[in-house]
Amino acid sequence: MTENVSAAKSAKAPSPQFGGSGLRIAIIACALLAVAGVALWALQLSGGMVQTGMRNLDSWGLYITCFMFFVGLSAGGLIISSVPRAFGIAGFGGISKVAVMTSIASTVCAIGFVVVDLGQPARVWELFVYSNLGSPLMWDIVVIGTYLVLSCVYLWAQLQAERGRVSHVALRVIAVVALVCAVLVHSVTAWIFGLQQSHELWHTALLGPWFVSSALVCGTGLVLVVAVALRRAGYFELDQAHVVRLAKLLGAFVCVDLYFLGCDLLTEAFPAASGAEVVGMLVAGPLAPFFWAEVLGCAACAVVCFTPRLRTSPLLAAASLLAIAAIFCKRVQLLVGGFQIANLDLPGAMTSHTVTNWDAGLAGAYAGLVYCPTPLEVGVALGVVALGALVFLAGLRYLPLKPAED
Amino acid sequence: MHYGMAIDTKRCVGCSACTIACKMANNIPNDIFWTRVLTDGGDVPDTPAGEFPRVRMRYITVGCQHCENPACVKVCPVGATYQDPDTGVVRQDYDKCIGCRMCMAACPYTGVRSFNWEEPRYQTPYAIGDADAPAHQKHVVEKCTFCYQRITKDEVPSCMDLCPARARHWGDLDDPTSEVSQVIAAREYMQLLPEKGTKPSVYYLV
Repeated sequence: MTENVSAAKSAKAPSPQFGGSGLRIAIIACALLAVAGVALWALQLSGGMVQTGMRNLDSWGLYITCFMFFVGLSAGGLIISSVPRAFGIAGFGGISKVAVMTSIASTVCAIGFVVVDLGQPARVWELFVYSNLGSPLMWDIVVIGTYLVLSCVYLWAQLQAERGRVSHVALRVIAVVALVCAVLVHSVTAWIFGLQQSHELWHTALLGPWFVSSALVCGTGLVLVVAVALRRAGYFELDQAHVVRLAKLLGAFVCVDLYFLGCDLLTEAFPAASGAEVVGMLVAGPLAPFFWAEVLGCAACAVVCFTPRLRTSPLLAAASLLAIAAIFCKRVQLLVGGFQIANLDLPGAMTSHTVTNWDAGLAGAYAGLVYCPTPLEVGVALGVVALGALVFLAGLRYLPLKPAED
Repeated sequence: MHYGMAIDTKRCVGCSACTIACKMANNIPNDIFWTRVLTDGGDVPDTPAGEFPRVRMRYITVGCQHCENPACVKVCPVGATYQDPDTGVVRQDYDKCIGCRMCMAACPYTGVRSFNWEEPRYQTPYAIGDADAPAHQKHVVEKCTFCYQRITKDEVPSCMDLCPARARHWGDLDDPTSEVSQVIAAREYMQLLPEKGTKPSVYYLV
């Protein structure tokens, strides 16, 4: 096997100082975008959510898609960081703390997307006073809150451990707890959809494990691309062997995710009953572009990850971004696909509140994608993403996330 | 006691009087209907399926099905959607609703729940209908309440009042002598999406 270790040598020309004016400008830009997002959110609340693309028959949209997506992205960092420690196996070099920082930033985004989706955000306190503990949404709020706190605690514990103030046993215990919580957070997010038999596409027992695998794909992809980028920017030095191990892991996760997709499609299609309609919508219907982007993106990523000659830093970064984009397409499929098939598809009177493309009639509304976001939604979503990026960059700037010198 | 309704599809002429009666009694804002007339036939409303003379068409009027096993109640994180223990009616607390729309995603009956996507607008500058119908709020989910303000006074839901074909039957499903129980016992009926196991309290006589 000819591992491509030469790339490390060429990339290993760290610029003398990381975090100069470039980082400062990036932080300011993210802060400005986040503020703009908050302003747009205020506009959405004052003028009404009628300004979004969401309507009664497609009552969730870009925000919940992004919520699922960022919950997934948050997986990789924590899992990459905690699995080696929890099981006492070799880690991935000095990326552990940076990886957890990506988790924290992604979780902040995920929570942000739930908040901007709410019609009455001023009533969120009710969640803690009138909690209906039977609701999967309530489980998710509990688990994702715990997850954010645990990620922060785990990062803090790693920093303290380096100074010898937290024992490695304690760190390992925190790693195990964080790992369990990470698996839970993805399963519970899946159950928000998977436990609803109202939408055939969603109602499958596979959804829990599938969310975990998708989370591992895009989470590992994010860690890989961040690691390669930070090495390039001279933030830290990272042995190419660690990058290659991450890439192999990414390839394996991508294959598992594709396998789950195949299992689900076969189970839906084989009886040639109502599930066939779901499969038809995905492979040849309005959602086909997202479906094939996911399949081809994942396949291309696996090829790059498994071919030693292709494992150069730029190609691995591209493959990681492709995998992340593929998982985003999967989230769109799941969310829009759920609404794309109406249980009661009988024509009746329609108004501007019924469905996004209401003026084309029932058949017209479902001919293309049933939902399409408005510029306002895209703007608010960009603001939330900028908030996450701000958290991450501020972490790089102000926290000692570089590998310990020992 | 468990209130229920039976709608005679052989009598219904699809006139939408129930839609309007509901809208007026509950002062429902513009662009929102709690009960809608759907055409079971062609691709557009009021058209039959098939080719003349072999055509087939019927109307299915759909509002909240007030399920005995409601999917919406289970998923509401704050209990704003709940089942009234005394009447079996699935109710909605506008003051509690956080606008997450989880209930809309969970309900299998497409379009019976509606969200006020903007500050409610009305055709008239003054409120109409029942004085004790709850006021509408922006950014909360609402739906048919079986005219809760009326049935607690032993009146019937407003859609019953105006139906010119007398296609609707109302009453206590637990009481075998009630009008709805008797008509269900005597006639053949169907329910919407029985495979979902939600046990609707609305029956369609066929």
